[in-house]
Amino acid sequence: MDDLLAEFIAETREMLEASSGEIVAWEADPADRARLDTIFRFVHTVKGNCGFFDFPRLAALSHAAEDALADCRAGRRDPDSAMVSAVLAIIDRIAQMVDAIEAGEELPEDGDDALIAAVNDPRETSANRGQDGVKEGSEPPLHAPASILLERAEDSAAPARRNEIAAAQRTIRLPVELLDRVMSGVSDMVLARNDLAHRLRQAGNQPTIDGPFERLTAILSDVRDAITRMRMQRIETLLNALPRLVRDLSADLGKLVMVDCDGGDVELDREMIETIRDPLTHLIRNAIDHGIEVPSARLASGKREIGLLAIAARQSGNTIAIMISDDGRGLDEKKIAAKAVATGLVSPAERSAMSRDKLLNLIFEPGFSTADSVSNVSGRGVGLDVVRQNLERVGGSIKVSSQPGQGTVFTMQIPLTLSIIAGLTVEVGAQRFAIPQGYVEEIVQASADALDFTRMGEAALVTFRGNRIACLMLADVLGLQGTKTAAGELTLVLLRLASGDLFALAVDRIDSNGDLVVKPLAPAVMKSGLYAGSTLLDDGQPVLLLDVTNIAAQHDLVSDGRARVLQPAEDEAAAPGAAMLRAMLFTDFAGRRCAVRLELVQRIETTPLSAINRSAARPRVVIDGMILPLIGLPEGPLTGDKLRLLRLSDGDCELLHAVREVEDAIVLYAPLIPVPEDPLVEAMTLIDGQPVALIDAHEVFARHGEPPEAAPGARPRCTLPESDWARTILAPLVTSAGYTIVPQNSGDPDVVAIMFDEVFEAAETLGRVPAGPVIRLRDHPAAPAGSATIYRYDRAALLGALAAARRAAIAGASRR
Amino acid sequence: MNQLLVIVQIAGRRCALSAHDVKSVIELGAITPVPRAADFIAGIAALRSQSLTVIDCRRAIGFDAAPWPTDDRAAVIGNGGHSYALMVDGIEDITTATGEPGQVPGGFGPEWSRIAAGMIETATGPALLIDLPALIAGPDTPRGEIEVAA
Repeated sequence: MDDLLAEFIAETREMLEASSGEIVAWEADPADRARLDTIFRFVHTVKGNCGFFDFPRLAALSHAAEDALADCRAGRRDPDSAMVSAVLAIIDRIAQMVDAIEAGEELPEDGDDALIAAVNDPRETSANRGQDGVKEGSEPPLHAPASILLERAEDSAAPARRNEIAAAQRTIRLPVELLDRVMSGVSDMVLARNDLAHRLRQAGNQPTIDGPFERLTAILSDVRDAITRMRMQRIETLLNALPRLVRDLSADLGKLVMVDCDGGDVELDREMIETIRDPLTHLIRNAIDHGIEVPSARLASGKREIGLLAIAARQSGNTIAIMISDDGRGLDEKKIAAKAVATGLVSPAERSAMSRDKLLNLIFEPGFSTADSVSNVSGRGVGLDVVRQNLERVGGSIKVSSQPGQGTVFTMQIPLTLSIIAGLTVEVGAQRFAIPQGYVEEIVQASADALDFTRMGEAALVTFRGNRIACLMLADVLGLQGTKTAAGELTLVLLRLASGDLFALAVDRIDSNGDLVVKPLAPAVMKSGLYAGSTLLDDGQPVLLLDVTNIAAQHDLVSDGRARVLQPAEDEAAAPGAAMLRAMLFTDFAGRRCAVRLELVQRIETTPLSAINRSAARPRVVIDGMILPLIGLPEGPLTGDKLRLLRLSDGDCELLHAVREVEDAIVLYAPLIPVPEDPLVEAMTLIDGQPVALIDAHEVFARHGEPPEAAPGARPRCTLPESDWARTILAPLVTSAGYTIVPQNSGDPDVVAIMFDEVFEAAETLGRVPAGPVIRLRDHPAAPAGSATIYRYDRAALLGALAAARRAAIAGASRR
Repeated sequence: MNQLLVIVQIAGRRCALSAHDVKSVIELGAITPVPRAADFIAGIAALRSQSLTVIDCRRAIGFDAAPWPTDDRAAVIGNGGHSYALMVDGIEDITTATGEPGQVPGGFGPEWSRIAAGMIETATGPALLIDLPALIAGPDTPRGEIEVAA
């Protein structure tokens, strides 16, 4: 096709997209000159461009619309809904014609005259129409007469408009192919850089080369970012078309809908925008058709006549969430349930066991549609199941939540881009594979006894958090031989599919994680159905990206019916699991085998010896920037340079128990025999025929627990006298008593005030006694008779007073 | 007439690839095997930032690769937007065709016929001109289209 023509078509399309939102906005507020100007500019440009080509019908149409709009601009005519509709119809026809021109087809059937007549019609009667309108009050003129007076002045807006056009042309159109070429060029450069970096490292330090190389690295990563962004498009391009869609739909259905778009500046891979266009449109159709009620029904239920449809896009990390919410009648749980039972999706028994949330999400099941009658808006045989399928194909997901009578929110989650994803590299056999990070729920060592790894025939099951889930051996899935890693040494990657199903994939070990640039695979490789693409690791080695959804599907792990049937069973299975006594088995430094209840164990920490301080009577250790008590250390000096610690918590305080070796998480089946003679041991029990001491958590925390150095807000507060003595000598004492020092005059009754007696007396006479408790200090050891003061170096008395004040404050807090 | 050809040895036979299709000849580095893929796919390899699908031509035709030596160089070709590296017995030379591809009476045998575009005379003797799309499709592809062409 002629380049010039292609340019014309592309430009017209772009303007069409941009202006459709404007038109609706203009209709809502016809006095809005800026909108009117935009639309006028569009039809004007189309008309002008038609001059270059031989499109007489296009020219006639745009000319008619331009005339009508020009009249509005000049104030000769007031835009009413009939005229807006007529202009919209013309713009639609222009779009159709442009499509036809591009396809090289004949222009669509003739009907232009009717459209032109429609847009011209009111003008012929406009002379008396305005007066009629005022009398009947049915169609009041929308322009205030005053605006006519201002009209002349508006012509000065013309040069400004030209500037806008000039600004708009600061973008250029590029073939995506060229962008891809630049992108792969940059990827090549990154690999070349990595190679060079490797060689430089081998060659040793060379300051003259290292500097420029660092700079090259920085520039390259900048360029890479920019290139990645080149493929991005603001989601605005998608949202701009929505007001128009909503307007047409609501008009068709006799509903009043206001649309509110938010987050148009979120950027998305342009291919992804195309992928979500249909799902989004479908959801909006649904919301207007099924969600939002007709105005009378809305008024009857005490809502505003106009329904609100909000579309918001948010970026969080590597995903974009798009929320489509309406304030309509909400989803009908009973109807959905009845339909689901009727179509055999769930059995009545399953239905009664399902939560509302689960039930609502049945609407995404294949073959589900609640609309009783098929209207021309929704229910065209394309159901929400197709929406979900389309989203899942690109690694997205969708869910719904709804409050009866309040409205419905659909949330779509989609990845930012198809070509760069966060991924996890795993190793099985001698080979590495990548898994998209989005699927990864958790990574667990199979050795943990709590996982209860069992083989059922050929299948494998693990118990994870009380749920029994299927486990696939990646080596088996891929048919890799000679990789018989013992079951206990496997690492399990728990994968959550978009459908919500969870399964475990057993791999030999986790290699790394990071951003992966995904390249498509040749069809012959895709045929296996196991891979979604390939990617190059930093060392330039290609690895295959696993197609998690497909692998799960091949092993029947996504069949929706099954997932639901399993659900109640899992809940039952979880119940006895909770009653089981689980414990962490370890060997302490005295060589004793001990166990501690698993609920108490927060984490297993490994800490360098330098983090341990044994200078005080009780050893302390620094973990995560907190100083915590440490127990279980051997008497003598520590050997090695690292120490394994169990981090125990009773909910408030934390302490660490040093251990020689952490063995495993176990379930205690044998009876517990109390050991009254050792207060630190709750009971003895047998594990594999060996005696094990179960640590008495109550006693341990009672003896060694310290409330954590809580956030300043949680500690009692205290004000000090204004003096150097107070700041340098008194303050440390007060702080070590657990107080936070705050500035004076806070007026807070919870703040303890320490004051010199003479200051207090002065305040008392002025009637400005602090609101909270007051500790009064005196300078002389000998107290005057009957004085409620404390000598300022009487440490014991001071601490006693602070402790008393603190107890009072806590008692006060608990009373509230 | 003066078509440039890359002469390779596949399963002990002299074959010709149109030099127009061959983007480059590379040293094959590490090949990442693709588990559960058809056995003529030797794996994937990297050419700069691109990934190549490595095709073992012997297996792609329907023979066993074992009896033949394997050149550590491979011919890189493009097809349908993807790049492939062809693993062959040996890459010999570049030469010019001295005639149009033709058929031989009795055909080339079932395996060869599927992937052959015909026999071509070159400056260094006759060679079997390979039909690349048919080769890449692998031995299990229906050979309808190729037979039509023959």
